[in-house]
Amino acid sequence: MAKKVVTNAHYKKLPLSKKIARDFSHNKYKYLMILPVLVYLALFCYKPMYGIQIAFKNYKVTRGMEKSPWVGLYWFEAFFNDPYFWRLLRNTFTISGLTILFGFPAPIVLALMLNEVKNTKFKRTVQTITYMPYFISLVVLCSLIKIYSQQNGLISDVVAFFGGTKQNWLQDPKYFRSIYVISDIWQGIGWNSIIYLAALSGIDQEQYEAARIDGANRFQQMLHITLPGLLPTITILFILRMGSILNVGYEKILLMYQPTTYEVADVFSTYTYRISLGATSGQPQYSLSTAVSLFNTIVNVAFLLLTNFISSRTTESSLF
Amino acid sequence: MRKLIALVLSLCMVLAATSAFAADLKSGADIYPLNSDKTITWYSQDSHNIHTDFADWHDSPFHVNISKQIGVNIDWVLPTTGADGATFTNTLMADPANLPNIMEAYFMDNAQQYLDDEVIWDLTPYIQEYAPAYYAFLQSNPAYDKAMKTDDGRYYAFGFFREDGGWNDSYQGPVVRQDWLEECGLEIPKTISEFENVIRVFKEKYDAVFTAAFSVRFSQMGLSGAFGGYGNLNSGYLFYVDDGKVGIAQTTDEYRNWLKWFSGIYKEGLVDTDLLTVDDTTVKTKVETGLSGIAMTSMGQMNLWNNEMENNGDGRPWIGIPYPTADDGSLYSIFGGSGIGSITGVVTKSADEETLKLCLRALDYAYTAEGFMFWNYGIEGESWEMDETTGLPKWTALVADDKSSDPMIKYNGTTWSGSCIQATNLLYLKNSQASIDADDAWFYLGMGRDTTELDKVQEITSGHKWPTGVTFTTEEADELDLYTANLGTYIVEQCTNFLVGNTDANDDAAWNNYLNGLNQYHADRVVELRQNCYDRYLSR
Repeated sequence: MAKKVVTNAHYKKLPLSKKIARDFSHNKYKYLMILPVLVYLALFCYKPMYGIQIAFKNYKVTRGMEKSPWVGLYWFEAFFNDPYFWRLLRNTFTISGLTILFGFPAPIVLALMLNEVKNTKFKRTVQTITYMPYFISLVVLCSLIKIYSQQNGLISDVVAFFGGTKQNWLQDPKYFRSIYVISDIWQGIGWNSIIYLAALSGIDQEQYEAARIDGANRFQQMLHITLPGLLPTITILFILRMGSILNVGYEKILLMYQPTTYEVADVFSTYTYRISLGATSGQPQYSLSTAVSLFNTIVNVAFLLLTNFISSRTTESSLF
Repeated sequence: MRKLIALVLSLCMVLAATSAFAADLKSGADIYPLNSDKTITWYSQDSHNIHTDFADWHDSPFHVNISKQIGVNIDWVLPTTGADGATFTNTLMADPANLPNIMEAYFMDNAQQYLDDEVIWDLTPYIQEYAPAYYAFLQSNPAYDKAMKTDDGRYYAFGFFREDGGWNDSYQGPVVRQDWLEECGLEIPKTISEFENVIRVFKEKYDAVFTAAFSVRFSQMGLSGAFGGYGNLNSGYLFYVDDGKVGIAQTTDEYRNWLKWFSGIYKEGLVDTDLLTVDDTTVKTKVETGLSGIAMTSMGQMNLWNNEMENNGDGRPWIGIPYPTADDGSLYSIFGGSGIGSITGVVTKSADEETLKLCLRALDYAYTAEGFMFWNYGIEGESWEMDETTGLPKWTALVADDKSSDPMIKYNGTTWSGSCIQATNLLYLKNSQASIDADDAWFYLGMGRDTTELDKVQEITSGHKWPTGVTFTTEEADELDLYTANLGTYIVEQCTNFLVGNTDANDDAAWNNYLNGLNQYHADRVVELRQNCYDRYLSR
């Protein structure tokens, strides 16, 4: 004990360079292990940030980064003055909000229900069946949706069976968001419930025993043991989800929307796609689309920080 | 005078047989093969993709043989299989220092900027000496020459030209089930009222509707030409020219009449309500199950329908019919083009002056008499031979017995596009007789191949289209890029709602509201900029 105190005092007197050298030699394997991650972050997360300057330049690929002139906030102004800006903002928040509102709790409910199932065979079967849609390619999935929602498709048949009228459901702006959110839940519910099921298995079984002795029924057990046990996981995932609030699955919207549903379906990412890669004439608008993406990121970070702040104040869980 | 020239030229083009056309090209027999030991890199977006039977271009006869024919080593750069060609080109362009020497892609809109920024070579000082066959070919037709240079007269590109002068550009149009027409005792509809009547009778008798794959077959023109319209609902068909004036096709009263008519029959249930979401595959299923007897499609698709219905024992009922006219017989425009493609071959600055000269020689080959044959049919005796009876080339068993789809692309380079001249005979060899008849019906407006009214054909198929080869200045391109995408979205969205009756096209307030909304999207400015470009193009 006494010896260690001397060593620490001795260590504190050393110059910084020596300290670092000593730290390296002590922990060389740990540093070696973290190296790939650092290289990855530097190469794929920090180096590309160099490209953010495109948002402040009139960038032409053939001119390159250096020769393209600076234009300040020109592209941001152009975007905020765009007649579509408010519609895009509204649609992005609505679709994303609905997906969070209905899509976020769905796997939690599924996990809780599966947790109550005692027959393991049945439980495994349900799990496998709910995972499966996750592995269907999005293009195939959207083709299925398109075919099902035709006038003579599956949905129409079901609706007609209950006395409704047949119609093309994807063509009607009223139903677009519902189709989007429901198919999203259907595809992701099984996959997303895995992490909750893992967290559930970590809850101390003795607590349930104690609760049973105190006379708690199964619903009370779920409410007072299972749910609080899951809460940290739910909070962290929710904070992370809020950090991508403006990232709506644009591939899916691109595959599903058409002119009569633009009004409710067009979001930032589909707009960016149309003006950049999907441009029908002229050159891709790299600068404008970078500006839109940068705006997207800033809003996402703001939401992440806000949710994290609220969470750290009200519960004990937070990211940092 | 200009009209007379156009008439004479199109007469020559259409009436002259293939061999006669090819004979007009300069011979390159004393130049090729060049016997150069140098290597040039050659990129092609979408024009010369390799056949799916091959792993890469080293296995593909066309890509390998062309090196021997020209006498220079060619290292092909092609988009990765399955990749989007335009995206691949953008990726290449992002590294201007390492571009392939020759690039076949869409350069026309921004040619001015590429020249000013020294991305591509100005070919003017070299073209006569190093690409004599191409230069002679351009001089043979003022329209070709005009399209291949900038406003200030600089040559920069080797273009794609259809020998037929636009026949194959009209590759889609209205089709009908002949057996149903006969069963109902109906004639082939000529006017839009007769067309509507056929839809009605079919609806009554077979509970069938009018259908089309909206985005690929119907959105470009539809049947708007019968009402005096110049386009339908596609952001690539926004601008028309009429008597030297540029306008937006979707803003005219004539176009509104088309919307009124179509939304009317749509409301009555005469049109497939899945119209906006269906693609070719779904339409094919609908057609085969008898859900439709009158539709719009391409000649390739119609052939597929007939093949599959024949396999099901339903015969080959589908035929192409001419675009319906207005009731007074007038017709403004149909789906078509001028026969000049917008993909062009350019030489980039990655080539030094010596390599440039070599590239020009390599590109020029396609426009020589011998090169024309090789680019269209491959090597004589290998993939093609002369048909003694017609005097035109025909495939050998190598191609004729190949059951894969489009086997000729293994040996030729003109099937889709590229810097070359596409032989009409190639299209005749490639398509079924019913498809060729259908295209004849569309392109010749029902007047038949021997018609003398070729100026009328040209006027209606491409006379009102935004011409190929107009170039924008860098400033114009910047401004247009900023406005055009949104303007297109606005017009397509609003007019689709008119088309299917979500907004009433008969309601003056709604229509005026739509027209007023255009200002918000800088429609006036876009038309003004386009008008300037068009004026400069005309005065080239």
